[in-house]
Amino acid sequence: MMSNQFSELDAFRIEVRDFLESAATAEIREAGRKTTSVFAPFKQAMAWQKILYNKGWVAPAWPVEYGGTGWSIHQRYIFVEECNRLELPPVLPQNIQMVGPAVIGFGSEEQKAKYLPGMLSGDDFWCQGYSEPGAGSDLAALKCRADSDGDDYILNGSKTWTTYGHHANKMFALVRTSSEGKPQQGISFLLLDMNTPGIEVRPIIGLDGEPEQCEVFLTDARVPKANRIGEENKGWSVAKYVLEFERGGSTFGAWLTPAFERLRTRCQQRNEHELRLIDDVSVARKLAKLEVDISAVEHTEKRVNANLKHGENPGPMASLLKILGSEVMQRFSELQLEISGVDALALQHAALHVGSDIAAMGSEADMLAMPYYLNTRAASIYAGSNEVQRSLLAKAVMGA
Amino acid sequence: MIYQYSEDQNAFRDSLRRFVQDHYDYESRRQRVAKSAVFSPDYWRQLTELGVLGLPFSEADGGLDLDFPSLMAVAEELGRGLVLEPILPVTIAGRLLAASTNRTAKNHLAGLIAGETLVSLAWEEASARGNPLLTQCKLGARGDGYVLNGKKQAVLAATESQLYIVSARNSDGELTLLLLDARQAGISRSSYLLSDGNSAADLKFNHVDVPTNAIIATGTEAETLLKTAVSEFIVVMAAEAIGAMDQLLKITQEFLKTRKQFAMPLAMFQSLQHRFADMVIATEKLRSLLWAACQQLGGEQQEKAVAQLKVQLGESARYVGQQAVQLHGGIGMTDELNVGAYFKRLTVMELLAGQQDYHLGKLADLAVVS
Repeated sequence: MMSNQFSELDAFRIEVRDFLESAATAEIREAGRKTTSVFAPFKQAMAWQKILYNKGWVAPAWPVEYGGTGWSIHQRYIFVEECNRLELPPVLPQNIQMVGPAVIGFGSEEQKAKYLPGMLSGDDFWCQGYSEPGAGSDLAALKCRADSDGDDYILNGSKTWTTYGHHANKMFALVRTSSEGKPQQGISFLLLDMNTPGIEVRPIIGLDGEPEQCEVFLTDARVPKANRIGEENKGWSVAKYVLEFERGGSTFGAWLTPAFERLRTRCQQRNEHELRLIDDVSVARKLAKLEVDISAVEHTEKRVNANLKHGENPGPMASLLKILGSEVMQRFSELQLEISGVDALALQHAALHVGSDIAAMGSEADMLAMPYYLNTRAASIYAGSNEVQRSLLAKAVMGA
Repeated sequence: MIYQYSEDQNAFRDSLRRFVQDHYDYESRRQRVAKSAVFSPDYWRQLTELGVLGLPFSEADGGLDLDFPSLMAVAEELGRGLVLEPILPVTIAGRLLAASTNRTAKNHLAGLIAGETLVSLAWEEASARGNPLLTQCKLGARGDGYVLNGKKQAVLAATESQLYIVSARNSDGELTLLLLDARQAGISRSSYLLSDGNSAADLKFNHVDVPTNAIIATGTEAETLLKTAVSEFIVVMAAEAIGAMDQLLKITQEFLKTRKQFAMPLAMFQSLQHRFADMVIATEKLRSLLWAACQQLGGEQQEKAVAQLKVQLGESARYVGQQAVQLHGGIGMTDELNVGAYFKRLTVMELLAGQQDYHLGKLADLAVVS
């Protein structure tokens, strides 16, 4: 029954869907399907970013004057839902959700004019130099030194878990400009050029056999102080600001719901014995249970978004959603692997690459199940491990 | 009931452990997997000389006539060292040949024990989801003999083997076991590595000629032989998992003691201590069921004990593998550190020979019957 009440949000969804369906090329869609980690294949992710940039839709959460869309939080969620419905590659978060907001919040007008356009368009790719071998969960313990030398800093140290460091032309880094006081009080936020002499990048091979993360070694690398965002020794606040920039930005549900539908559809296919997995009651029940969890994630995200309107501070909900969302993603990846079973066992490096002329041995979905499962183990580790997040959540609810 | 290895078994184990330590440092193994050079004829020869292949075969067949726990001890060491050579699948295939009443089959045992003949048991099919009696391989009549059509998946060591034992149903619907030469016309093989680095292949049978003497068992005998082989495979794989899990616990506890964040070794954080304790519990549960199952082999409770074991293997392997990665943080996600390799091996084990659902279903069926 067609309702006469066609809301503005419904019209917006149609507008988004129409654009996405027309603008996404076959190669970009292939890259989206073959996104087996939280980071899409680099080349196609940047190509897709450029397309969205040309449409004016690349940074929905940015203030309009810097290139944002002015969409409500609900529209932003719908946009993500529609991108995931088409299995499009997510725009890499580094430019748009990490360094961009830092420059918007703490950059001088000159810095904004200099750096924001390249971040937005994707002409620059900014990799993240935060973690170090000795500073993971305890990021404040970072040691990479930025020693003062006239108008420049001289950098010495190393960074790790730098996604796509080997593809980046720029880096935003947290560096130590003072060892006095608490560790957080001696950190500065610095922008640098990856072709600065003294910078060496070493890709790290992940569990799926692919080089996504990198180590970055800095030896007497000279970076102008003018590249610092915010005041010296106040970089920790810049990093915290970035985390809070996209309040209500959790979109696990927007990914999980269409992905779950695709998984359930696969279970409705008949195999060589004319049997369907969906007719196996244990499979049907596992799917149903996962759907309960996905529904809980989705409605929690939407509830947080709705409550933001009333000026409520998300408070513990950010930690809650990180824990819940990542663990349901992990459960999804497990169930997907269980369903593929023996069909997921073969290593298929060559066929995994976008544009490969080697076809998957069986179905593409079966080929993707294992790399996706392996990579998704990281979801409970990055962006604040779930152990740390649980402590934060407990403290936030119970009071410090 | 016995619950531990004998002195002799431990002595054999120690010598195998030394061999594995000397030849299987993680970086060398990683390089071999990266180059897809996972079968070393030299290591195979050395392992054969250690006596590993002949352990569970009768002296009449040319073996050492040792009991099943001896093979389990070997399996634990192979798991502990993430050894790539397919000692266990070949041994289990050999035991099927030994248990059969077929002369041709038994004639290959000497070559197998000497390390010259490798045999692969080709029974898994993705759509069978762990049920050895469910196959879409068909053996039709043709002239004086038969013709085989169908496919098998994830056949361990198929690339290295000279002989395949293949399960198929004949035109009367009976299960048959066939012994085929790997080079036979009509057999095509697509070789690959499993996610854990082990060698496997999918086999396609396209009108393969099967002479009558290639049929080594039919009907009830075939079912019994195949079910026993799969049961034995599950038991040795669980032992391999125990070796891998014990090593993973060792690596993880070392890491927790040395890695510091927030000025404290990770081992001092209570939540991580509890997690580690849960990993220990998962490992001990599997160890207990492994001892129980190995002693039920060949007995009335074999089916139930092995199904229970495989359920526990799935649960424990998943938990210990996942948590070892989690406790190592980011470095657990790298190819460079061995933790990921253990995690991948344990993940593959869960998917082979039927997942938890299949075996829970079997247990439920067994409960109804009794």
